[in-house]
Amino acid sequence: MPVANSGAKMTATLITRVLGVSALAATGLMAVLGLVISPPDVVQGEAVRMLYIHVPSIWIAYGGFALTSISSILFLRRSRRRPDQGRHYDRLAGSAAEVGVVFTAITLITGMLWGKVTWGTYWQWDARLTTTVLLFVTYLGYLALRRLPAEPAVRSRRAAVMALISFINVPIVHYSVDWWRTLHQKASLSVGRRPEITGEMYWTLLYSALAVTILATWLIIHRYRVIRLEELRDEEGLEALIASRLNKDFGSH
Amino acid sequence: MSEVATVVAGWGITFVILATYSIWVVFRGKGIGRELGIGETEQSDLEKDVGTITDS
Repeated sequence: MPVANSGAKMTATLITRVLGVSALAATGLMAVLGLVISPPDVVQGEAVRMLYIHVPSIWIAYGGFALTSISSILFLRRSRRRPDQGRHYDRLAGSAAEVGVVFTAITLITGMLWGKVTWGTYWQWDARLTTTVLLFVTYLGYLALRRLPAEPAVRSRRAAVMALISFINVPIVHYSVDWWRTLHQKASLSVGRRPEITGEMYWTLLYSALAVTILATWLIIHRYRVIRLEELRDEEGLEALIASRLNKDFGSH
Repeated sequence: MSEVATVVAGWGITFVILATYSIWVVFRGKGIGRELGIGETEQSDLEKDVGTITDS
């Protein structure tokens, strides 16, 4: 049976186990670096430690949503030739979007806590915060669209279009601090610009980004497999339903 | 809330969210795998290997 033969690949392999253990160890070391070894900031004090989660989380969210968009484009291209093709890209899009949403939620929560200490308030309707919450809600909508009852090919196509529309907000979120006057500070690290932080803080932030990337990769791989298993279960359920219906029809004649 | 308490809350909430989501993903996969008989296949292979070792 194909399901049984490919079983080991669908639950866990040696590579994903190694990746999972690496993610656990990397996040443990990230906590030690961020909470113990890295010094407090001269201006922000202890609150700077929140940035070691907050900043990498939004990077991962951007990466996840970018992966969703690329996979959606590939899905739309493949499914145009044959409706049953490109399912792989659709699954990848769904799993990356879900992980992106989780990390956007973490960005919002840690940002609010950091804001309370630094700005004296949890929330301000400034450009960065407003566009980020819009990003979160839009991708929640994308995930909800994936769960709406419809023919799988139609549902996947709708979701792919929604993913491409939703991604328009990602550069807006990122450049909002440059385009508008906001309470939110400018990017701590940016390509082509001198970093705002140096020394242990700089390396801790880079390391945190690496640790969170390993974790997110592991989560996306596992979530992809779960989506595949859900599809198989639905297909098996449908086949069983058809078989029982046929038995009933033939049995009655 | 003091700076230290805020930092602890932020890191704590993050770890709870990530741990909960990771556990949910792993156990959902295992659950559906078991429904489809995938977990059983792996288990029986493992038992076969263990049996071979103990037999020898």
